[in-house]
Amino acid sequence: MATNKTPIKVGFAGALTTVKTELPEGEPVPWDADSKLVHVGKKVPRIDGHLKVSGKAKYTYDIHLPGMLWAAVLRCPHPAAKVVSVDVGPALKEPGVKAAIALAKAGDTLKFAGQDVAAVAAERPDQAHAALAAIAVKYKKLGYSVDVVSAAHPKAPVVHEGAVGERRTEGHVGEGGGGTLQGNVRPLPPSVRGDVDKAMAKAKPELTHAAVYTVPVQTHSALETHGLLVRWDGADRMTVWASTQSIFSVRDEMAATFGLDKDKVRVVTEFLGGGFGAKFGASAPGSGLGYIAGELAKQAKAPVKLMCTRADEHVCTGNRPDAIQQVKLAAKGKALLAIDVTSHGTAGVGTGAGVGRNAFGIYTKCPNVRVTSYDVFTNGGPGTAMRAPGHPQGAFAIELALDELAAKMGVDPLELRIDHDEHPLRVKQFERGGETFGWARKRAESAKMRAGNARIRHGYGVAASLWGDFGRASAAVATVSVKPNATIEVKNGVQDIGTGIVTVLAQVAAEVFRRPLSTVTVKYGDSEFGPSVGSGGSQTTSSVTPAIRNAAEQAKTQLTARAAELLGVGSAEEVTWDDEGTAHGGGKSMTFAQVCKKIEGEAIVATASRARTYGTAPMAFPGAPLPQIAGVQFAEVTVDTWTGVVRVPHVLALHDCGRIMNELTVRSQINGGVILGTSYALMEQRVMDNDFGRMLNPNLDCYKILGAEDTPAIDIELFDVYTGANSTGAAGIGEPATIPTAAAIACAVFDAIGAPVRSLPLTPNRVLAALGAYEAKEPPLPDHLRA
Amino acid sequence: MERFSIVRLATLKETSARVAEGAGERVIRAGGIDLLDRMKEGLEAPTELVELQSIGGEEGTALRGASEKDGGWRLGALVTLGQIAAMTDLPKAYRALQVAAGEAATPGIRNAATLGGNLLQRPRCWYFRHQDMVCLKKGGDMCYAQTGDHRYHAILGAGPSWIVHPSSTASPLLALDASVEIWDGKASTRTVPIADLFALPTVDPEREHTLSPGEILLSVQLPAPVADQRSAYATAKEKQSQDWPLAEASVRLSMRGGKMSQVRVALGHVAPIPWRAKEAEAILEGKTPSADLFVEAAKAATSPAKPLAGNAYKVPLTHGLLRQALHEATGLAEA
Ligand SMILES: Cc1cc2nc3c(=O)[nH]c(=O)nc-3n(C[C@H](O)[C@H](O)[C@H](O)COP(=O)(O)OP(=O)(O)OC[C@H]3O[C@@H](n4cnc5c(N)ncnc54)[C@H](O)[C@@H]3O)c2cc1C
Ligand code: SF4
Repeated sequence: MATNKTPIKVGFAGALTTVKTELPEGEPVPWDADSKLVHVGKKVPRIDGHLKVSGKAKYTYDIHLPGMLWAAVLRCPHPAAKVVSVDVGPALKEPGVKAAIALAKAGDTLKFAGQDVAAVAAERPDQAHAALAAIAVKYKKLGYSVDVVSAAHPKAPVVHEGAVGERRTEGHVGEGGGGTLQGNVRPLPPSVRGDVDKAMAKAKPELTHAAVYTVPVQTHSALETHGLLVRWDGADRMTVWASTQSIFSVRDEMAATFGLDKDKVRVVTEFLGGGFGAKFGASAPGSGLGYIAGELAKQAKAPVKLMCTRADEHVCTGNRPDAIQQVKLAAKGKALLAIDVTSHGTAGVGTGAGVGRNAFGIYTKCPNVRVTSYDVFTNGGPGTAMRAPGHPQGAFAIELALDELAAKMGVDPLELRIDHDEHPLRVKQFERGGETFGWARKRAESAKMRAGNARIRHGYGVAASLWGDFGRASAAVATVSVKPNATIEVKNGVQDIGTGIVTVLAQVAAEVFRRPLSTVTVKYGDSEFGPSVGSGGSQTTSSVTPAIRNAAEQAKTQLTARAAELLGVGSAEEVTWDDEGTAHGGGKSMTFAQVCKKIEGEAIVATASRARTYGTAPMAFPGAPLPQIAGVQFAEVTVDTWTGVVRVPHVLALHDCGRIMNELTVRSQINGGVILGTSYALMEQRVMDNDFGRMLNPNLDCYKILGAEDTPAIDIELFDVYTGANSTGAAGIGEPATIPTAAAIACAVFDAIGAPVRSLPLTPNRVLAALGAYEAKEPPLPDHLRA
Repeated sequence: MERFSIVRLATLKETSARVAEGAGERVIRAGGIDLLDRMKEGLEAPTELVELQSIGGEEGTALRGASEKDGGWRLGALVTLGQIAAMTDLPKAYRALQVAAGEAATPGIRNAATLGGNLLQRPRCWYFRHQDMVCLKKGGDMCYAQTGDHRYHAILGAGPSWIVHPSSTASPLLALDASVEIWDGKASTRTVPIADLFALPTVDPEREHTLSPGEILLSVQLPAPVADQRSAYATAKEKQSQDWPLAEASVRLSMRGGKMSQVRVALGHVAPIPWRAKEAEAILEGKTPSADLFVEAAKAATSPAKPLAGNAYKVPLTHGLLRQALHEATGLAEA
């Protein structure tokens, strides 16, 4: 048991220090740099891997109940319209239809194409979809804007009259809350350091840089679309199978929607086909899926399954907002003097189009910084948290702008970054990556290719990541049982979004007892298994593993007490466990199995949660007492100057995420982050048609997502960090791993062709324009968006 | 997608009659890749898919087979893109076709997609493919792409519809001077130059080809290669896996005594039909290959281009691809 001011060895290899920490009541001494662990940190394959690859894993999509009905939703075809009338009556007469409900009523204003209008449940999915055509709706079309430039115009039709409610999920961390709405434009709280205006005024014009950077709306496009299956178990009780990254938000939402006790709503998510931030509730950000399925099930008196179509998934289940960022930079000699970013972006009818902390929080030696983001409301489906909300957008603009400034300064971009970053590990990652990647040599080669006017040019870029350990206290409650047959059961209602958290939970329990992993079973994915966190903010491992460890330690204390009795020693302190799990005391020994056999009753059971975060090594997150997660990525591109095609043959990703709990699952997260980032860099973009106010590519054909042939070779270097922040030392990696990828790729393209491509995605039309192969008619930034 | 039935008949005659009687309701299914896409997108709801694959006997063999005759080749309409790409006995002179077939779509799609279906698939225009948008091609009264987002649309030969022809095999086949064999549905077959299979939107904006309902494309015929024939195909995509070309260039020529002759240049995904670039051919014919000449020919190829506001990039892109194809076909190193 910990005492006041416990010494803990924290930091990272080459920079370890011992800090004396006041541990919360009942907290075990956290695993630190000196802990020798046998299960945690190893390359343990996913314990459910075979179920996934063999098709035995059952996703929400795969659940079929006897007598189950299928729902379909009629969605508004107009970007803005007043509902004149809705009549679902005719749909009830269609074949197979058992229930039909209106979701909008006469007089309602619908604000984006894709908004809920009505829904039906029928015996077969094709019947449900066909019946939608029978629903009679009259609309009065209204004026609209679907892009930032026109929506921000003072004369644009107003999307939201009056105050705008914030819709925030666990995926959004920190940032939030807006200022006063003017037209469709609302400022987010700015981040300010020093005096940017004064610094800019003093700077020499040749050492300043100003340009506009744009990124498109990206949709989450999880392989399994949003959806749920609702079964009423009597009038006041229901079971819900949901494709969700937050079982307990689904429970709470369904309980609130239908006026039920929370403990009478059971939610099950055994497997989940991706979420990326958009699956935090029973409903999707832009569609009341939870109400629809629950209400149809109630009316039809049968279980109802509602899975979004692929088109729905693109238009009403969330997206990563776009951004038009004006970046102004100034330098003096080799020093950055000022960073000024003004961004306008749209989360459609939703909020949260800020551009994250990259510009403000990474190159902190720059004395004057100001980042101002504006939400611009448009008639589009609401944005929502998407893997590191705001950050990839922000990283792209600041990192490419820095490279453009570096060129004017005559400074190497890598050196410029190293010189202005105060995070000791990120600096090391920059330096180490520079060596492994062969930065200096490669940049010399690319310069030569540029000078020689080669058709295929290579280019190299680097960019940084910044995230926090947002692990939550008390939110997850874990139960660990030790059974007479010497098995260990871990129980927590967390969902495994695909990160492999279940495997990591098993490792933690195995570690505490020093027992083989095969003796641990994990019960998860069910609200009956105890409170847990949503998988957002890269906080799951950091929130849940300490709870598991703490519960396991308590169970072990009880088991040790039992061993003391059995060994006939006076107190538990006299019992020691060796690495085989054998208990020794009073000159006698008992194997783990022998002790367990003598457990009284069914099992030893202990329940615990995670304590508050109590450390910040190696460096705190900007403005919050929690550890900062670093990370740096280097990218290599080739650019075909005849066709404008950009390819990314190689990415080197250097990351830390507290203690590496399972090297395989961490690498898998980084692979996924790099792939998502490369996809964002090269091809993903929602395309809206201005004449219809609708999305032109709500599919996976024209909404392009990186494929196998486009995926770079990904090299990963991991850095163990001992944060001293919680009992396992886990932090997060899902989000930091995707933040810098697109930025590094854009910087590499600049290196390859000597001209910046300041808009994502880096498609041939833009690259050819940057190369001067044709005259692109890009309209200038309108005055109403200028800072 | 709505319910439908699958009909399998044993002869061309029955198959064709079945479709002709129920035009609109009944359609031919070859590989079904495009057809099922259209049905899933809600563009069409045929009640019957009449299978071409079920045709037996000699007719079936001819539809599925590939054979040589007098130095030329006959490729049955049901030969898949995957099979074409993998054929080892096709003359090198037809390389443009093999490369195009092998780079289209994905391995899985290429294994199902047939040559006939590939030539007769409907356009990919995103207005056309959107269930709710009834543009000119779907019987509406205007082309939405012309004023809307037309980044993937035509720069040559367009109007009143701005589609690009979606087939990747069409431009190499045009360059290779292929013909198509068509069964009229009753008794006779006719063989026409492949250029005549396609029609500009000025003829009928609702159609891309000239077959009548019930007519069946039987085969594609490649003439015997001219002396010292070479061919090449170049394409560029936004995404390397599973994407459609932004533009394509196909070239056929004869290289004798260091000079190019019998030059054929065809461009894909830049016009509503596979586009023959005679201006480029004229510049190249009889000349010695050189990088500068290729640049000149590439510029000539797009000289009639009238890009819209958002697809002008296709002009330099097409230049690049045609230069690449010419370098490959002639063996002249790029740099
Ligand atoms: C992701 C993706 C990427 C793709 N990329 C490419 C690409 O890069 N290049 C490319 O060329 N294509 C591409 N395609 C399209 C694909 O190659 C075509 O859909 C396919 O070749 C169609 O052939 P099919 O045999 O499946 O035709 P079907 O779908 O069976 O038929 C197409 C049409 O032709 C009619 N038809 C078929 N055969 C005959 C016949 N013999 N006589 C008369 N009528 C007939 C049918 O009635 C139907 O209307 C892609 C498709 C997908 C899904
Ligand atoms: S290009 Fe053709 S298919 Fe596309 S909108 Fe215009 S008319 Fe319709």
